[in-house]
Formats: sequence, structure tokens, C-alpha cells
Amino acid sequence: MSEQPSAAAAATETYILFAVAGTTYALRSHQVLHMEMIEQVTPVPNAPRFVEGVVFSRGQVVPVVNLRARFGFDRAPLDLRTRLLVVQNDGRRIGLLADEAREFLTIPDSAIQPPHQAIGGLSGNYLDGVATLGDRIVLILNVREVLETSPTAAA
Amino acid sequence: MSSSGQGPDFASGFMDDYFAEADEHLVAIRRSLLVLEASLGADLPAPILDDLFRSFHSLKGLSAMVDLREAEVVAHQMESCLRAVRQGDVVLTGANFETLVDGAKLLEAVIVAHRMGQPRPPVGRTLEQLETLARPAAKPAADREGGPASSPATPPVRPGEDERVWKVIFVPSPQLVERGIKVDTIRTRLLQIGHLLKVEPKVVAGGGISFEFHLQTAHGEQLGAWSDDGVSCELLAAVPPPEPPEARARPAAPDSAARAPRPVDLATAGPTNFVRVDLGRLDDLMRLVGDMVVTRARLDDSLQRLERHVPFQEWRALQEHNTGLERQLRDLREGVMRVRLVPVGEIFRRMPFVVRDLARDSGRRVQLDLVGQNTEIDKFLIERMMDPILHLVRNAITHAIEKPDERAAAGKPPEGTIRLGASTAGESVVIEVSDDGRGIDAQAVAARARAGGAPIPEGPIDQGALLDIICAPGFSTRDEVDRGSGRGVGMAVVRATVEELGGALAVESEAGRGTTFRITLPLTLAITDAIITHVGRHTFAVPQSAVREVVEVDPGVLRSIEQNELMTYRGATLPMVRLSDLFGIRVDPRPRLHAIVIGDGLAAIGLLVDRISGQREIVVKTITDPLIRVDGVSGATELGDGRLILILDVSALSRTLRDRRPVDSRVSA
Repeated sequence: MSEQPSAAAAATETYILFAVAGTTYALRSHQVLHMEMIEQVTPVPNAPRFVEGVVFSRGQVVPVVNLRARFGFDRAPLDLRTRLLVVQNDGRRIGLLADEAREFLTIPDSAIQPPHQAIGGLSGNYLDGVATLGDRIVLILNVREVLETSPTAAA
Repeated sequence: MSSSGQGPDFASGFMDDYFAEADEHLVAIRRSLLVLEASLGADLPAPILDDLFRSFHSLKGLSAMVDLREAEVVAHQMESCLRAVRQGDVVLTGANFETLVDGAKLLEAVIVAHRMGQPRPPVGRTLEQLETLARPAAKPAADREGGPASSPATPPVRPGEDERVWKVIFVPSPQLVERGIKVDTIRTRLLQIGHLLKVEPKVVAGGGISFEFHLQTAHGEQLGAWSDDGVSCELLAAVPPPEPPEARARPAAPDSAARAPRPVDLATAGPTNFVRVDLGRLDDLMRLVGDMVVTRARLDDSLQRLERHVPFQEWRALQEHNTGLERQLRDLREGVMRVRLVPVGEIFRRMPFVVRDLARDSGRRVQLDLVGQNTEIDKFLIERMMDPILHLVRNAITHAIEKPDERAAAGKPPEGTIRLGASTAGESVVIEVSDDGRGIDAQAVAARARAGGAPIPEGPIDQGALLDIICAPGFSTRDEVDRGSGRGVGMAVVRATVEELGGALAVESEAGRGTTFRITLPLTLAITDAIITHVGRHTFAVPQSAVREVVEVDPGVLRSIEQNELMTYRGATLPMVRLSDLFGIRVDPRPRLHAIVIGDGLAAIGLLVDRISGQREIVVKTITDPLIRVDGVSGATELGDGRLILILDVSALSRTLRDRRPVDSRVSA
């Protein structure tokens, strides 16, 4: 990463952090419209397996993607810590189901590296980068990839 | 004429008409009173007084017809008061104007109480006050120009009921003088039966003199009796006696222009270009249109199947007609939906009264500007939006607008302004409630929310986040208890209502300058009747228009032939499809199932569900995202408890099923 001489501020971005199956992920905050707790999701029969169903959020019908299922983990029951992150991408409004919401964090670009090919597991396909913050590792998600429903992605 | 003695349906329909008409009059009364208030202390606009008189007169008659005594009596008193004011017997001041307002409110309260089946409010005290008001204390002869006529005339007075203006001509003659009838005699007689507006001597051919009187009287019939005394008369229709220009008279319909004194036209002001429509009929119409859409879709299917059997030219003609039909049907559908549109002014018109009362009670001075009252929104939306908008307006007065001295100290005019505006923007209607009050201090609000335990990060709060904070359930503002914004409608409910209707709420505020709340609503609503069905743990809505019949089924009577289940139905075999199979839903065996019959004749199919829990009107939200676009589901709807259920796409379902099914299974029993 090229260093700007006497940069007023190093390039940074604000992210929203959340947990799925014990791992911390991050989304750029401008992509997240809002977060909410949900009690139940209406299942949609014959939808892709990782689609939990639909919910009614802020007056709109929002599809819910179960991130555990998307990343290849077993589903877990909804509890009080489960959060729905409603994101927007390409004019679509989708809800991402996470186990737990963590914090807002500003991460400098310098702390982020592109994902290695070697990162195992399905979630490697959906990453924009990996951030190292001290001894903490945060995986930065690519929303478009998460929502992609091409035949190869259908789990 | 009383409504008793007729069947209950007739009576209730009659009452509905009464309430509808009464409501129209009450609205007109409210509006007129407000205009009148603005004119207190100056010339009261005659057309307004006439309108008020007319309205009370009509309400009196209507209430008598339905035996609503209290309303009749109050209306009668109001009518008397208005007559006294019109005649100049009573001068309206701030104090006695309030009595009029109280009377109007009481009248409304009585009618509303009757409608709700509640005990009627006591009317005695207000009636007394009205009676006192109507009694002319002293006659303050409101001196107006007598007109260019030479002779003195008594000041013209507002015409009472049934009074007319006559032109009376007296031709004196020596014979009449012998009988003691001179011009003064005639003049005295005329004064006894009415008011003289003008007296003018005229020179007649031959050098004689005649006298022309303009007389305002309710007793014109007496004039005929004096024809032997040299008196001839004629009703003055077109010639208006001179009258000072009316200040602030509305640029009104021609017949109510300032051509006073004139007889008040007690008939309603002519036919208008509007029809009052029963909402139920409108819904029926929309349902029919919905049915037509479904039928045309089936026509479409048949045509597609026909294509290979029909010569190209013929088929093309058919297809053209079909397309034409589709286009016309779409136009019809839009047209019918447009009939449901009503001007948003229906909500706005109640606001001036609310603002007036609340401003006065809270010691503020508020001016209300209404913009875009003709903007139209769906009737369904009007009803749901009344409370939210009321709440925003009340909030503006009790929270935003500062008291006059505080405003003056801030360099603002002592009168605060609230602007209520509506406009269309593409496919949406935008309603704004703005004020020039103290604005919302985002940081202060965030601090208060944080103090209450809300997890709000430090730093700048944008307008979206601000809205989230103030709309969060549990975010208490001090007004939740005070009368102004009471009744439990908080900001959370405002936002929830707006969003339930498919709209959005936004706020823009600048501390010290003012606040604007913006409500965006969809212009048209897809509302339809649906049958709510259950399959296992799932709930589906089936549009009523697609359903031919609902039949209870004993699973034991179903017969299986090859892959299909069949049932005997109306002398034929009905293929059945289990929704649980179609959608891969796990179900427990049940002793009874329900079949929803869709399609007609040979194309009929029975959809098997576990049970049916009723029928309701639903607002259809289409499903567009590819992730959830599945065959057989066309949309979703919110049941009102936050739960979303899916709406079945019946025609797509039947198409899929029909194509799947081998033809020879459709066997008549």
C-alpha cells in the first residue's frame, strides 16, 4: 500500500462487525441499511437452501439469507442474540442472518490483505479481504458474492 | 316522517345516509366558522352567514327526520342565532362567537354519540347560551348606504326567511285623496309589513307623479289587497338594491354573490359534478375487475394452445383482439383504482380546528398553511393516515413551536408556522408536516437515548439515525402524558403505520430553524380479498377471486390413479394436489382436509390444505428478488401482527399442474 506523504488521515473505512459460527466478519457500514432482531422468518418453499425465507422489514418484503447455511455450517435456532443485517446491493434489499452483532469499527486499509487462495471452507469465496487487528482476525465480506445465486453457488 | 315502522335494513341504510349528509354539513360549518372568525370586528361576509344558516337549517330538518331530538333542537338554536346575526340584531364578538363554536361542537358531539351508540352529551347549558345569544339585546342599526335614491329610507336589513323584495308603485289620485289615501298612508302600511329599502318619486306621462317603493317583506301577499288603493306591485328579481361591497366575500358561485338583500335559497346549492359512492360497491367493482383479469389470463392460455390448430391469419387476428382486451382491461383497472382516490384535503380540512384549539390551550400562536389539498391518495390510505398526521401536527405545536416570547427572542415572528403539504412524485404521494420551530437537537436526543440504555455510537448522527432514535418504542418524550399528543399514538406507531402501507417516513431538522417530517406513500395499493390457509406450519393466502369453492374433504374418499389423487366432485372427477407435496412441507396426517377448488370445468383442480382460518383483505406486496422467486408464490402480505405470509400464484400453479398432468387422467366419473 503506497504511503501518502504527510497524509492528513490514513485511508480508513467504518465497518459493522458480526459473528457467524464463532468467526468475526465485517461489512462496510454504508452497505448496511439497518440491523434488527427478528423473531421468526417465513419460509419460502423451494427456495435455495441457504435462503431462510422472507421477513417484513420497514414495510418491505426482504429475503433472508442464513449466513451459517451459506458458509456451510449447520443451522442454529434463532435466539435473542441473532441479528438480521439488512444490506443493499444493486438495488436489492436483502437480510443477512448472523449469530450475533459485534461493534462498529474503523479499519485502516493498511490492515487489510486480499484473501489467500488457501483459506479453506466455503466462506473463502465470499471474502473481499482479511483484516488483522492486533491478535484479532476479521473477515471482510463481499456482499455481491454472498447474494450470488448462480448454479454453482446453490448449496 | 320517521324512520320507524320500516325494516331494520331500511332504517340502518337511512341512518347511514343521515350520518353521511350530516358529516358534510358539519364540515361546511367548521370551515365557515373559521372564515367568520377571521372577520370578527369587521364586516361579516354575507355568503358565509347564509351558508351557515343553510347548513343549520338542513341539519335541523335531517335530524327531525331521523328523530334525533337533541340535534334538531341544537340546530334550531344555531339557526336562530345565525338569523339574528344576519339581520344585524346581534353583533358577533370574540366572546359570543365562542358560544357559536360551542354550539357547533355540541351538535357534532350529539351526532357522533348517536352514531357510536353512546349516551348523548347534555345540551341544556349550551342551549341556554345560544338562546341568550339569539335574543336581540339592542338593535345596533348597522348603517349602510341607502343607495342613490333621494328619499330617506330605513337602513336595509338582512333578509329573513321567506322575505322578498317588491317594487311597489303608488299612483296618487284625487279620488284616493278623498278616501284619505295619500302617499304617507301607503308608506305607513308598507312599513308595517316590512322594510323600505328605497323610495323614489317618479314623473309619469301627463305630468303626474307616482311613487316607487322597494319593500322587503315576508308578507307580499298583502300588497295585492291594496290594488284598489292605487297600489300595484311586482316582485323584484333582477334589480339589486345598492349594497356596500362585501369585504372578504368568497369568490363564490354566481347565485350566492353579494346580491343581498335577497331571499335565501334554502334548497341545496344546485347539483354538483360529484357522486357519493359507497365504498363497498367500489370494492365489488374492483373485485369484478380482478376476476376479469384472471379470466383474460385463461383466455391467453387457451389462445396459446390454439395456435397450432388455427390458420396463421385467424390466429393473428385473435391475438390482436386479445392484446387489445389486455390493454383495455389494464386501463379499466387503473380507472377503477383511481375512483378510490380522494383528495388528501379530506385529512387536511380537520387540521385548522385542531391547531386552533391546541395552540390556544398551549399558549402558542400558530398559523397553519395547507398546500396541495387536491393531491389524491387511495381512500384506504386516507383513513389510516389520519391519526399519524394528527400526531405529527400536535407534536409540532406542543414540542416544536416555541411560545411567542421565546420566538421573539430568537428573532422569529411571534406566530409560528406549520405547513401541511401534499404532492405527487412519480409513483408516490409525498405528505410533509413542517414547522419553523426549535428543530430537533440530534446530539441531545442521542444523549437522552443513550442515557436510557440505547446502544448509540458517539459521533455525528445523521437524519436516518435520528429518526430511528425518536421512533424507537420506549423512547419517551415528555408529551406522552400531556393531552396534546395523547391517545397513545407515539412516533413508533406513526412510522409503523406508514411502513405497513408500503410507505416511508423521513425527517429533516435543523436546530433552531425547524423540522420537516416527510411521509412517502405509494400512489396505488394492491388490495385484494384472500382466503387464509394452513399447510403444516406454513400459512398461505389464496386470492379470493381465483377460488371457485372451498370443500371439506375426508382423505378417505380420495382415490389414487397412477400418480394422481382424485375426488368425486359435482358429478365429475376433480384432480387434487397436496400443497404439502408441491412445496415439500412436512405435514401430519389429519382426519379432515380442505380443498380449494380453482379453475373451471375440465381445468378445475383442488388444492389440498390442512385447514382454512378465514378470509381477509390483504395488501399485496410483490416478490421480486430472484432469491425468493419460486413457482406458485406471487407475493407476500403482512397479517397485521408482523408475520409475513406468502400469497399463492393460483394461475401459475394451475398452469404448472396442468402441464404436468397426463391428459387421460381427467376422466368423468
